[in-house]
Amino acid sequence: MKVGAALVLVALLLGAPGIAAATATQQELEESLTCQCGCGLTVHSCNHLQCQSGEPMKKEIADRLAAGEDKEKILAAFRGRYGEKILSAPTFHGFNWFAWLTPFAALLLGALGLTRVLHRWTHETPAPVPPVATPVDSALRSRLERELAELDREP
Amino acid sequence: MPEIGRLAVCLALLFAAYSVVTSILGGVRRRPDFVRSGEHAAFAVAGLVVVAAAILLRALLQHDFTLEYVAAYSSSSLPTQYTVAALWGGQKGSLLFWAFMLSLFTAIVQIQNRDRNRALMPYVTATLMTIAFFFLALLTFVTDPFERLPVAAREGADLNPLLQNYWMMLHPPSLYTGYVSASVPFAFGIAALASGRLGDQWIRSVRRWALFSWSFLTLGNLLGARWAYEVLGWGGYWAWDPVENAAFMPWLVSTAYLHSVMIQEKKDMLRVWNLVLVLLTFALTIFGTFLTRSGVISSVHSFTQSGLGPFFIGFLLFVLVVSGGLLVYRLPDLRTPATIESFFSREAAFLFNNLILVGIAFAVFWGTVFPVLSEWVRGVKITVGPPFFNRVNAPLGLVLLFFTGVGPVIAWRRASPRNLRRAFTGPVLTALAAAVALGVAGVPPGYAYLTFVLGCFALGTVGQEFWRGVRARQAMLHESAPRALSRLVGKNRRRYGGYVIHVGVVSAFVAIAASTAFRIEVTQPLKRGEEMQVGKFRLRYERITTAEDAHLSRLAAEVSVWRDGRQIATLAPEKRFYKKPQQPTTEVAMRSTLTEDLYVVLGSYDRDSDLATIQAFVNPLVSWLWLGGIFMACGTIITMWPAAAERRATAFALGGARVPAE
Repeated sequence: MKVGAALVLVALLLGAPGIAAATATQQELEESLTCQCGCGLTVHSCNHLQCQSGEPMKKEIADRLAAGEDKEKILAAFRGRYGEKILSAPTFHGFNWFAWLTPFAALLLGALGLTRVLHRWTHETPAPVPPVATPVDSALRSRLERELAELDREP
Repeated sequence: MPEIGRLAVCLALLFAAYSVVTSILGGVRRRPDFVRSGEHAAFAVAGLVVVAAAILLRALLQHDFTLEYVAAYSSSSLPTQYTVAALWGGQKGSLLFWAFMLSLFTAIVQIQNRDRNRALMPYVTATLMTIAFFFLALLTFVTDPFERLPVAAREGADLNPLLQNYWMMLHPPSLYTGYVSASVPFAFGIAALASGRLGDQWIRSVRRWALFSWSFLTLGNLLGARWAYEVLGWGGYWAWDPVENAAFMPWLVSTAYLHSVMIQEKKDMLRVWNLVLVLLTFALTIFGTFLTRSGVISSVHSFTQSGLGPFFIGFLLFVLVVSGGLLVYRLPDLRTPATIESFFSREAAFLFNNLILVGIAFAVFWGTVFPVLSEWVRGVKITVGPPFFNRVNAPLGLVLLFFTGVGPVIAWRRASPRNLRRAFTGPVLTALAAAVALGVAGVPPGYAYLTFVLGCFALGTVGQEFWRGVRARQAMLHESAPRALSRLVGKNRRRYGGYVIHVGVVSAFVAIAASTAFRIEVTQPLKRGEEMQVGKFRLRYERITTAEDAHLSRLAAEVSVWRDGRQIATLAPEKRFYKKPQQPTTEVAMRSTLTEDLYVVLGSYDRDSDLATIQAFVNPLVSWLWLGGIFMACGTIITMWPAAAERRATAFALGGARVPAE
């Protein structure tokens, strides 16, 4: 149950893929695609002078949006042409779920482990040892009081 | 002369090997003469590597194009400062630079520990010299920086134009300093494991080294971000490139260590965990170098790629096996009774902070290597880019920001309800006030909104600590506020320096959130005299100017900036064309203020139609990122500054050391 709730939370944190499909903008689509000129940036970020890869892709996105195509269809067209590497992030399908879930699963496991360890430590903590009533020699006591009084007198 | 450089590297390799063997023998057989001999050999390595680096630098400055390295990474028209930067601008030079810094740090460690940590030192020397041996072996057998060309080149190919930027003078050396100095805590950790002296002595000995390494990793990352912001011209400063990730991961783990080590110092707990963090930080620096050199994952840093990947992965495996083996061997001795009393304690908060930091490091690692994993498993190449890292790390970053606020004020051992009220009422009220104010100001709910609110919470805790400390001193000692503040910080530099670092961290978080969420971007082709609107700014394209010298030609668009009907600036974004590598670059023009950067790029220019495509961004609060860096640097200096008693002890020790010599 807890794990299920955690996975729902993870899905929410990851931003519910697909929700924005109907309202995709040019920028959103450009950021979903990786430029193939070797810069390693998204199509949106690549600003290589007259980039042979990014510029035609930006134009194609604009044309397809103008023709009324939605995000999924436009991305599928690019994916069909270049393969999955064109997408700037793993899809939410099959093996790629490992990419998204593993960091959160690891963190969840870590949190559970840490909570268990802390629980054990806090319960294993030995009770504080009561102060032992050490008999204090009266001469020592009077010396201590005298020295403290002298200390107080110091400027 | 280059032959002397090569000879120096070869001799340094032999001395490093000798140092490793004699140091280990000295440690195992308890032979102080062997140990000293190993240390002297380490000094010899430092001297020889300094000679080699100086010879390569001289060859660069003298444009000795008989050397392959000089011909490949410099030219006769390259400005002097970039000719110096060419020392680390190419692979061979950067490896020599690494060996140079490592040998210098080793020498400093030897001097610092002439009369202390004597049981640890044989293994410290052996570890540092093993690392030096690896780099020197690469320089001797695989990638010789003093290799001569069969026929001398008439002119050099020049340094990569992207590296011809003043931030590049600082970014790689800072990052290398952070990477290389991480070897020192690692060496002490290995020495503790090898010698069986597992108490907190080694931890205390490397406290400043760990902070030094962390501060330079911070600086290196921030300078790299600044370089990317100014040079790459895409409007951002961080692209989650694999090599950026490689520099970020050791920073995260090192940050975790700096927090958890406090628990070991206070309560002698977490010995294993702290060792793991120290070993992991060093391993990640080697992993980062592997990523940069191997080309196994495509990166904007591809100019440093080479065939050295297998050597680095081999060395990384060696490091992991040896350090992991030692850790497992010593595991029974490392266990100490745990005494955390409550979940509501600083110890627990630090542990959760560690979990998040290491969790983020893992998420970054996972995203970086996942393309390789996908290719192995599915045979399909995929890209893991900024959308992945932003989505995964944003929620984790918020949790980290929350703990940045909690850690400094929650009580050690056990926080009572009264303590919690006293510690958190002010910061929580500050955060609530900020939440309302942001809502009224129209900031939409989302990650940025939460970052601002949690940032105010964290700043509230820091401000409260300073306020209470100053008030207490004023009440007890009747000091003026500035005097009370300086005394407060001076009496507990580590604590208050840490708070100043936290202010820097919050500032960086706010900058990242604001510039990511509220960036405005407009791209428009303009004819001369035409205008475009970007947020509250109006830009007018005035004219194109050109300039040329022996090194490069420039094409600059003059753009006047108007706001509320008044001209406030003139910017000149450029396209440069470097002649020798025949490569165009972008030179961004910026108007930077505390509230936002107006960032203007000349996208393209068509001479026939005089049409300039202007790309303009309004990036809110980016300055806060650099400001955060300054806060973090100041906090680090405060934290590392020796206390008066320490300064006296050092002066006394130095004086004492001089007496016999005189």
